[in-house]
Amino acid sequence: MKTFTPVFSALAVLLLVLLTTPIVNMVISSPPALLRSTLLDQEVLHAIILTLKTALWATLSGFLLGIPLAYILARWSFPGKSFLQGLVDLPIMIPHTAMGVALLMVYGKKFLIGSLFSKIGISFVGTEVGISLAMAYVSLPFLVNAARDGFLAVNPRLEAVARTLGASPWQTFFKVTLPLARRAILTGAIMMWARGISEFGAVVILAYHPMVAPILIWERFESYGLAYARPVASLLIIICLLIFAVLRWLSGRSREV
Amino acid sequence: MIVLNNISLQLKGFRLRDITLRIAPGEYRILLGPTGSGKTVLLETIAGLHMPQSGSIFLHDRNITNTTPENRNIGVVYQDYCLFPHLTVFDNIAFGLNLQKKTRSEIAHMVDEMAGFLNINHLLKRTQQYLSGGECQRVALARTLVLKPSLLLLDEPLSAVDRLTRNHLRSELQRIHRELGLAVLHVTHDVSEAFLLGDTMTVMRDGKIEQDGTPDGIFQKPATRFVAELLGIKNFLPVIIMTGSVLEVQGLGKIHSTESFFAETTQEGGRYIALFPDWAVELSPARTPSAYFWQGSATIKKIRYTDNMVQVVLETVGNMPIFTSFSRREMNGLAENLTSGSSIQAGILQQGVHLLSEDLSPL
Repeated sequence: MKTFTPVFSALAVLLLVLLTTPIVNMVISSPPALLRSTLLDQEVLHAIILTLKTALWATLSGFLLGIPLAYILARWSFPGKSFLQGLVDLPIMIPHTAMGVALLMVYGKKFLIGSLFSKIGISFVGTEVGISLAMAYVSLPFLVNAARDGFLAVNPRLEAVARTLGASPWQTFFKVTLPLARRAILTGAIMMWARGISEFGAVVILAYHPMVAPILIWERFESYGLAYARPVASLLIIICLLIFAVLRWLSGRSREV
Repeated sequence: MIVLNNISLQLKGFRLRDITLRIAPGEYRILLGPTGSGKTVLLETIAGLHMPQSGSIFLHDRNITNTTPENRNIGVVYQDYCLFPHLTVFDNIAFGLNLQKKTRSEIAHMVDEMAGFLNINHLLKRTQQYLSGGECQRVALARTLVLKPSLLLLDEPLSAVDRLTRNHLRSELQRIHRELGLAVLHVTHDVSEAFLLGDTMTVMRDGKIEQDGTPDGIFQKPATRFVAELLGIKNFLPVIIMTGSVLEVQGLGKIHSTESFFAETTQEGGRYIALFPDWAVELSPARTPSAYFWQGSATIKKIRYTDNMVQVVLETVGNMPIFTSFSRREMNGLAENLTSGSSIQAGILQQGVHLLSEDLSPL
């Protein structure tokens, strides 16, 4: 008993140190003046804004399509449910470059869905839509799984009571289920957005240009070396850290309401 | 009036079988049964949360078999309250009124009135986490009653609260029923709750109705051993009907009984079970001999004291255990002191004995 707390604390601290050392080292090794000038670099700024924006679109589309699926996985019983759950988790398991190739073979202009969309003027290859699509494919499991767990945590009897009090299934979902699962869904959305921001493999295949921040970092590293890649990476980390700290704080507050 | 006709329903690993039930306006009906007997599923089927595969449900002559729960006007209160944790007490009570698109002032008035009726005005701004179990249950009742349901379904509403709160809530339920004149179907496995609250009682077993009647009527004449055991009856003695008015009772020997007793039986030579509740067993019997089904000597095997009661296990000369219980006041009135291992005169009152034609296989 006496050793439990110190051992667990030591192991936790060790992991935190291992996790943060490369990131902290990279950030502190970039002088503030270099960070400032990187921030003023239009190409960098554009890539960061594009990354945040496309990841946000991916997350919002994830809300629309992922929440119903999460609810079905949480509430319904049907044959093949485990298989469906496996399908949802698939993007976490397969290499994202492979996912990019798979997406290209469906959403490319010469392929099934891509050719249909190209007729109405929507292209996925080398466009912001394509970036969002690639991000959504690889990051949706984070939202779907978190939302499913959130729905599972809502007592189904609360929904039953709402129905007997006069609520339709839609009213029950929006007035009872969704508000009670909102923290889990918000957490999932933050995770999905974060995963979208960091996506490289699938995006680089489907939409090398316009360039998102991870591709820009890779390109600068390949073309100019570490010194040019480091400030962009540091800047992306600082901005993401600030945004996620605020989002976590906000989602923490929503729990207390 | 709600009428269920031959309701059958198959759920995962469970089914309701051929349920026929009628609840009159203003009737307080108890649905008694052990865990897993289908009480809650039946309740939820009446509420519209499960659709029956066959049979029909009528509410005031309107066929509601396929009506969605939101259009039935049947209220449900669960054991675990099921208050919406993200809403205040006021908003919980106003939940159904909001859906009816009533004006804000109408809602405020109706919530205030119902909160006053259930003495929860002071709780309206709180959320569930700041309420006691009894307060939660009052809020759950208010939330349902404010919609003036045609039928109130209560799913073990008193089982999650402490004894003191349970007593208060029992009185509250009696008052609500009396003042609102509501039809109530109250699920419980608590026999005393059934006797205190119920006008009528339905006993369920394995998704079927085992017996239907008044609580006292069922207690006096349980239709099966299962019902008797559920009601707390512990005395079951195998009986063979001999010729004439003679019974061979295992553990008691030959007994000469009265004609009226035989009216219940039809077959001489048949095997039955004589069952009798604790109250039918008297120690130091002092009535006229004809009042007793049996009188004789027995050994006190065990004495157990509870808060108000004394439970005694006797053993007859034929080595059959007989269970009895009485109040501590009655014990003080006994001529003899009760000590374990000592012998005592005992009697089984004729009026408490009921014969069942059933095998003795364990349940």
